[in-house]
Amino acid sequence: MFHMKINLFAKAKALESKIDMFHDKVIDSAMMFNKSLREYLNAGRSDEFKKINKQLRQIEHDADQLRRDIENRLYSQNLIPDMRANVLELVENLDRVINRFDEVSYQFYIERPDIPQIYHSRIKDLVEQVTDCAENMSIASRSFFRDLSLVRDYAQKVYFLEHETDLTSGRLKESIFDSDLHLSNKLQLSTIVDEIENIADLAEDSIDRLLIFTIKRDI
Amino acid sequence: MTEILFLFFLSSGLFLGWSLGANDAANIFGTAVGSRMIKFRTAALIASVFVILGAVFAGSGASQTLGELGKVNALAGAFMVALSAALTVYWMVSSGVLVSTSQAIVGAIIGWNLYAAKPTDWFTLSTIVSSWVTCPILCGIIAVFTYYGIKHWLKHSKIHLLRQDSYVRTGLILIAAFGAYALGANNIANVMGVFVASSPLQDVQVGGLIISKTQILFLLGGLAISAGIITYSQKTIQTVGNSLMEMTPIVAWIVVFSQSVVLYLFASEGIKNFLEGYGLPSLPLVPVSSSQAVIGAIIGIGLAKGGKNINWTIVARIIAGWVFTPAISAIVCFISLFFLENVFNLAVYQ
Repeated sequence: MFHMKINLFAKAKALESKIDMFHDKVIDSAMMFNKSLREYLNAGRSDEFKKINKQLRQIEHDADQLRRDIENRLYSQNLIPDMRANVLELVENLDRVINRFDEVSYQFYIERPDIPQIYHSRIKDLVEQVTDCAENMSIASRSFFRDLSLVRDYAQKVYFLEHETDLTSGRLKESIFDSDLHLSNKLQLSTIVDEIENIADLAEDSIDRLLIFTIKRDI
Repeated sequence: MTEILFLFFLSSGLFLGWSLGANDAANIFGTAVGSRMIKFRTAALIASVFVILGAVFAGSGASQTLGELGKVNALAGAFMVALSAALTVYWMVSSGVLVSTSQAIVGAIIGWNLYAAKPTDWFTLSTIVSSWVTCPILCGIIAVFTYYGIKHWLKHSKIHLLRQDSYVRTGLILIAAFGAYALGANNIANVMGVFVASSPLQDVQVGGLIISKTQILFLLGGLAISAGIITYSQKTIQTVGNSLMEMTPIVAWIVVFSQSVVLYLFASEGIKNFLEGYGLPSLPLVPVSSSQAVIGAIIGIGLAKGGKNINWTIVARIIAGWVFTPAISAIVCFISLFFLENVFNLAVYQ
């Protein structure tokens, strides 16, 4: 019996660390995405951009492995049976955000969009807001495991930032379609802006679910 | 021959013990098993061992009080008192009603008193009946304080969800042990109390240890309760707790903790003597209903949470069961005693 309990605590501690590492990956991917797009805007598809893209892909790959490991452990070790489904959903939602960071950055790599200089600063703003949004989502999610009282604070920041991204992307697209660019170029830029902005929407969706899980977690 | 006859008459008490194990063990670990926090096998094993320990080592106090209500002085009478209570409990459990073994046995004893034209000690009866009211209220108060205490602690400890899960599991196992001990200590009186006066058993000396005849009786009762836990409690687990209010494992722990403390307070001679030694008010040592205690705790927590989650219809149905259980049990006992005395020519009282 004693051995069983020690084992249970050791298993919990190991999984705690995996979940923490997974949250680190969300923040890493957000920062790397920011770096990647800044590099693209500054130097196009440079070697440095390719290197950053590769690093982002690695982060996404590591996060996938961590997610699978967390899911496996939760079920095979029968941990938190009452909250297991919620934790799995949460981890999957966060993973979706990481995947999108990787996919959007890769889209830049593949499509090599031609972005006029006048839009650079606003795209940088948008990327900044989206990455901030994802980072706050990650902190809110981390708080869910340790300090429920903080979840709402960070959730509020996510909602605020998501709204900001809506405004920024709206203004950006307006300005793109008001320009003299070729329609195909306009459509490509607009799609890319949408893709970036959608990451904030994903973060918001994941926060919506997180707030419900938080109510459930309260005793 | 006497031993065989004794065992035959004791069988109704053992059946009652089995019913109690099948019914009341669900109060101790029902939610923990239902929510898959602990395995049924682990919970049943721990509860089986501790229910026997509680019965043998701390069961005498509540049993004496029950003896004062009606000293069932003939073995055949004791057989029928226990059988009537057991049948009432079994019938009501089968109908899906959470019943109180304590109230069934009290009803059956009163049925015996009426049949045997023995006076019912109204002081003892009022003490027992008042405990039926005190028990859930006290349990509710303890549950509310524990609930707020744990909520406060969780808020400030910033403990990780997974570590919290480990603590809760450990806590549920420990509380299953304590809950079973308290259940054995308090409720063995329901199962074996009526046989104490008419038991032909003798004290036994094992090495330097003397096991009293009452303890042997309680050991047998404890084994019957354990058998009920192992063989049938899994079925009753489905109806406990969550049908009254959605419970998280922590709330389940609080409910079992409060229930165990209350059951122990109503069974512990040590605590009673300690409190009286300091001139403090103490609780009477009476068998109380673990179902009542659980409901008191759940309602207490439900009210602390705003009272929105409580299924009051179920509460009303359970309260109705509390009224009908002793009444049905008394009627069944009275009729059965008549049958036993006049058809089988057995002395059901002296």
